[in-house]
Amino acid sequence: MEYSSFECLTVERRGPVGWLINDRAEQLNAMSAAMRDELAVAWKELDLDPEVRVIVHTGEGRAFQTGVDVTEIATDGVGMERYRQSVEDFDLHFTAWHQQVWKPVITAVNGICAGGGLHWVADADIVIAASDATFFDPHVSVGQVVALEAIGLLRKMPAEAVMRMALVGRHERLPAARALELGMISQVVDPPERLREEAQNLAEQVARNSPAAMAATKRALWQSFELGLTDACRAGAQELASLWGHPDQEEGPRAFAEKREPVWAPPGAATPPQHSS
Amino acid sequence: MAYASLILERRGPVGWLVFDRPSAGNAMDATMLGELEAAWRELDEDPDVRAIVNTGAGPAFQTGLDMVQLSRDREALRVQSRRTKRAELRLTAWHNQVWKPVIAAVNGTCAGGGLHFVADADIVMAASDATFLDPHVSVGQATAYEPIGLLRKMPAEPVLRMALVGRHERLSAARALELGMISQVVDPPERLREEAQSLGETIARNSPAAMAATKRVLWRAFEVCSVPNLVESGRGAGGRGGHFRPNVEQDHRGAR
Repeated sequence: MEYSSFECLTVERRGPVGWLINDRAEQLNAMSAAMRDELAVAWKELDLDPEVRVIVHTGEGRAFQTGVDVTEIATDGVGMERYRQSVEDFDLHFTAWHQQVWKPVITAVNGICAGGGLHWVADADIVIAASDATFFDPHVSVGQVVALEAIGLLRKMPAEAVMRMALVGRHERLPAARALELGMISQVVDPPERLREEAQNLAEQVARNSPAAMAATKRALWQSFELGLTDACRAGAQELASLWGHPDQEEGPRAFAEKREPVWAPPGAATPPQHSS
Repeated sequence: MAYASLILERRGPVGWLVFDRPSAGNAMDATMLGELEAAWRELDEDPDVRAIVNTGAGPAFQTGLDMVQLSRDREALRVQSRRTKRAELRLTAWHNQVWKPVIAAVNGTCAGGGLHFVADADIVMAASDATFLDPHVSVGQATAYEPIGLLRKMPAEPVLRMALVGRHERLSAARALELGMISQVVDPPERLREEAQSLGETIARNSPAAMAATKRVLWRAFEVCSVPNLVESGRGAGGRGGHFRPNVEQDHRGAR
């Protein structure tokens, strides 16, 4: 599939893996208004590409992402007002979760991940990091409130570490090793230069699984953050049942029994027939 | 009651529920599905049982539904499918509303549906050579209940990773301990039952009534996700107080 041309991002496919790379290295990959708009498009294009089974998100240079481009905010006369309505309405479109991408998303944190950069840690399914990556949230040190990023992280990891990061601001950084201990990330890559290679390897393993089953699973699990336990199980049961009758449900066990690689229906293919019981 | 797929016994104040289909990785066939419901009830109703240990015989702890057997037993499969769809499963202590403390002692491979018994236990310990994985998506199946339960109890990223990587990776007991998925690793693995019995006896020294009430309260806390009307009313929930008071809405535009 042909992707749009992007100014602030590199978007490409390597085998079954779609890559979304923040490409404003000079600005530590800070999110300008243009980048924000491009992210909305890039997630949708990767989600629509049937050749892409898994998406990896990383950054160029020494930072992964450092939040909103404050230079642009300070100098263009529009400032944060530009974002007021979309934030007040929580009408955001720059992460996979915002864009309802149901393909697996791996964030590969290649360096500094600060403030708004934490959006893509909170909203990814799998997070790995280079051994020299660091995490911090400087919002309160520069007079800003932090909400969305920290709220996302609170669902996903021990709360004290999130509160500390939110309140200590720029005066402390969480190293990759501690993020691993906390279960904020699941893999530290050392030496850091091997991050992309490891991300590609992991993504290729994930790409061997049924796209339809992964999408239903992802919907069930992200939905569960919204609900109480019993309601989450009830809603999850509907996702399970939605797959009954899908060709992958027959193909999976058959391929396993025949000791061969399964051949899955392409993502977004035929809507599974309604199961009747 | 006599069981064919489980071993049920009492050792002092500790009731044991042991999966006993070692040649099938302790997978749940139609017989075990029926027996589990009865076994949990029997242990819950026995006044001499103060704590329950759940473990498996052989190299595996539990490996989920036995689809080979169930595909030959259409009626059992139909019942299980209906229960799955309606969220009326009766596999675990939580499903069966057991309010005695339940310790899962993971003796080996815990795969797919086996994770139900980790998610739904109060305390989880494991042999040092135990491993955890969720192969559902690798065989074309979605996974929901097991990871949804785990998401309440441990960091989310490793749960999402396990659900999406499928059978291509395993979580070790040591990593499960780091993540707080389990609280104890027993080494050498042969000492698992001994350690589980010892922990069961320790717990059995506490007040059964207080533990039951505590367990109900804590599991119920997983259900509550929001306080309706709190923000609109600007008061505690339903005016009954509460520790959260929302800020009065302010607009700082133009403020100095």
